[in-house]
Amino acid sequence: MSTVHLGLSLGHATDAEAEHWLAAHLPAVPGLVACTHNVPAPYPHVALSVAAPDGVALPETDPDLRAAADEAAARHRAHVSGRAVVYPGVESLTGTLTVADLLDRSAIERVTVLGGTDAAPDALIETRDFVRPLLRAGKLELVLVPIVGGRLAPFEVPNPTPCCADH
Amino acid sequence: MGHGHPHTHDHSHDHDHDHGSTPDALDLSIPDSELSPADVSRRGFLRGAGLLGAAAGLTGAGTAGGVLGTPDIAVAHGGGQRTGDFSWKAGDHHIHTQYSSDGKYRVADHVQHGLAYGLDWLVITDHGGATHAKIGVDKVNPDIVAAREKFPEALVFQGLEWNIPAAEHGTIIVHPGKKEVEVLKEFETNYDGSVKGASSQSAANETLAIAGLNFLAAAKKNRRVSDAMFFANHPSRKGLDSPHEIRGWRDAQPEIALGFEGAPGHQAAAIPTSAFGPGAGRGFYDSSPGADSFPAYPLESYRTWGGFDWMTATVGGLWDSLLAEGKPWWITANSDSHSVLWDTSIRGANSDFNANGRYNDPQHGVKPDVTAGDFWPGFYSRTHVGAAGDDYRHVMDGLRAGRVWVDHGGLIKSLDVRARVQGDRNRRGGTPLGGVLKVRKGTAVEVTIDVELADKPNWAQLLPVLARVDLIQGAVTGAAADRDVFTAPKTRVVTSFEVAKGKKTASFTYSFGRVSSPFYFRVRGTDGNFSQPGLYGAAVDPTGPKLDVVGDADPWLDLWFYANPIWVLPY
Repeated sequence: MSTVHLGLSLGHATDAEAEHWLAAHLPAVPGLVACTHNVPAPYPHVALSVAAPDGVALPETDPDLRAAADEAAARHRAHVSGRAVVYPGVESLTGTLTVADLLDRSAIERVTVLGGTDAAPDALIETRDFVRPLLRAGKLELVLVPIVGGRLAPFEVPNPTPCCADH
Repeated sequence: MGHGHPHTHDHSHDHDHDHGSTPDALDLSIPDSELSPADVSRRGFLRGAGLLGAAAGLTGAGTAGGVLGTPDIAVAHGGGQRTGDFSWKAGDHHIHTQYSSDGKYRVADHVQHGLAYGLDWLVITDHGGATHAKIGVDKVNPDIVAAREKFPEALVFQGLEWNIPAAEHGTIIVHPGKKEVEVLKEFETNYDGSVKGASSQSAANETLAIAGLNFLAAAKKNRRVSDAMFFANHPSRKGLDSPHEIRGWRDAQPEIALGFEGAPGHQAAAIPTSAFGPGAGRGFYDSSPGADSFPAYPLESYRTWGGFDWMTATVGGLWDSLLAEGKPWWITANSDSHSVLWDTSIRGANSDFNANGRYNDPQHGVKPDVTAGDFWPGFYSRTHVGAAGDDYRHVMDGLRAGRVWVDHGGLIKSLDVRARVQGDRNRRGGTPLGGVLKVRKGTAVEVTIDVELADKPNWAQLLPVLARVDLIQGAVTGAAADRDVFTAPKTRVVTSFEVAKGKKTASFTYSFGRVSSPFYFRVRGTDGNFSQPGLYGAAVDPTGPKLDVVGDADPWLDLWFYANPIWVLPY
C-alpha cells in the first residue's frame, strides 16, 4: 500500500487549535503521521499535513487556503519541515524515558540537545506526556533541552491549558 | 557637566560645531555645497568606501547604503565625541503598575524600591490596550507627577509598553511635559497593535508600526513633546521581531527607534521550584515558533543565554549583523517588573480593572508569592547611561548616543571603555561607548577598558567577582543586501582578559594596530560560572554564555555585563 501526503488548512491560528481539530477528526489508521506547519499566506496560520495509506480522506480545504494546504503537504513529503503530532509510537512516550527507549518505541529517528551538547542513550527524558518531534533534513527529530536535575525534556513545553480542557 | 544643549533644542537639526570632530560629512541632510572643504573631502572618502548612503538614502527606509552615513550619526555621535565627566545614571525602562491588566503595584511602590536599590531613573510602561488607552494612560499620570514630587531624587518618565503592530512589545519613552499624556494617548489609540487589532504578521501591520514611529517623530518635531524614543522589548521571546522589521523601524526613524533589550526582565523566572521559585524559563522565555514567528529563527532563539536574549548573546548574531552594517542600535537591561518573587502583597480587593483602568492599591497577602518571576527595578538588572547632566533630557541624550552599558546583579561598579589613538592616555580623551572614532588610515588605534570592581555586596548579599572580560570585534561591511540577515561572519571574540583577584580595579588595553578599514568593537564580562562555546563555534566565541536551563537557572550565580559598541572609521 502506498503512502500519500495530504495537505489541509482550516485557518487555525495556533498549534493548539490545530491539534484540537486533529484529536477530533483524524481517522485511526496505523502508521499515520500528522503534522502542523506554520504557513505565512494568505495570512499567518497553522496548516496540517497527513502521511497516510492511499484511501484516507480528509475534508475539503477552502480554495483560499488550498495553496497553504499544498505547501504543508509538500514540506511533509520532502521531510524538510513539520511538527509531528501523531506518529507511530507517540502514545507510548509518557512519563520518564531514556533516549534509547524513546527512539526504540517511536518513529522518532534522532534526538538533539539545544545548545549543542550530546544526549547519551541512557540520559533520562521527562516527556511531560507531550512529545512533538520535527521533520528536519529528512529525519523525524526530537529537540531536547536540559532541565532541572540534569535531565532532558522536549524543547516544546506543553500548552499549560490543555487544548481540550473545555470539553 | 557643561553640556551646551539648551533644553528645547531639536536634535534632528543639530549640527553642533563645539565638538572636536564634526559629523557634518556624515549628515546627508547637509548638501555638499554647504560643507566645509575638509568635510567635502571627508564625505568623498566615505562615499568611496561605500559607507555613505546614496543621496536617496536620506529619506527612504531600506535604501540607506551604510548607516554610518544616515543623518542620525550626527545625533548619535555628536555627544559621543565628548569624553570624561559623564555622570552614569542607572535606570530601568520597563516597569508595570496597577494600570496594567497583569500588574499590581503603585507607581510609588516601584519608585521607592528602585531608589532603594540604586536607580536614578525609571520609566513606567503599562501595557497598551483598549482599557489603558481609554482610562489608564490618563489616570496613571497624576501618580507619576506625585512620585516626581515625593521622590525628587528619581527621574520618573511616563512611557508605554507598546504592542508593536506585527511584532513584539516595545518601550515608548517621552520627555515629561504638558502634552506627555496627550501624545501617549494619541499614539496608543492609533498605533497600538492590541487597540487596533493589528498584532498578527502582515505588511499592513508592519506599515502601521512604522506609522507609529513616524507619529512620535512628528510629535517631537512639532514640540508637542521635547523628546521621544522607542526600544524593542524581549525581542526573541516568541520569534515575532523579524530582522527586516527591526531594520525597518531603525531606518524609518533612526532618532526614535534606538535599540532593544539585550536582556529581558523576569530574571527570577527560572529559580527552581525546590528553592521556592517559579521553575520556568529564564525571562519567561519558554515559547516555540508560532504562525506569526519569523520562520528562519532557530529554536536557540527562543531561550535565554546567561540571562540575555539570543539576539544579543550570540557573537556574530543578529545584534552584530546590525552593528556590522554600521547601524547604531543599542541594548538595555530591565526588570519588566509586574509581580516580585517572594513579595507578600496581593492585588487590592474588589478591583474592577475594566471599569476603573486600574487595580485597587495592593494589600498585604501574608504569604510570599513563589510563582512570580520578577525582581524590583534596580534589584538585579540595570541600564547605566552616561549623562552629561542630571535631568530627563540628559538621560534621553545618553540613551540616544548609546553611551550605555548594562549589568546583572551588580557585577561591576563602573565601566569606562574608550577607543583611542594609540598612546593617548588623556583622561578626557578617546571615544566613549556608542561613539565613532574617526582617524586617518594607517593610524594605530587601541581600546582602553577600565573597570571598577564591585566593592559591596549586591541585593542577594553576595559580593560579585568579575572573572573575565571579552573583547568582541567585527568588520563594518556596509548595508546588508538581505534585510532579514541575522549573522555577522566577520565578528568574533578577539581576546579575553582574566581579572586578577583581590584588586579594586582592572584595566586592559588592546591594540587594533594600524587601521585601514572600518570596524566596531564591544565588550562583555562575566563572573565565569557558566559558559559554553558560542552558537557559531569556539573559533568565534570560545567561552560564551550558557543556555539557561529551564527551571534551574539561579540568576545570582550567572552574572554578565555587556557594553554598547564603539566604531572605528578610518578615512
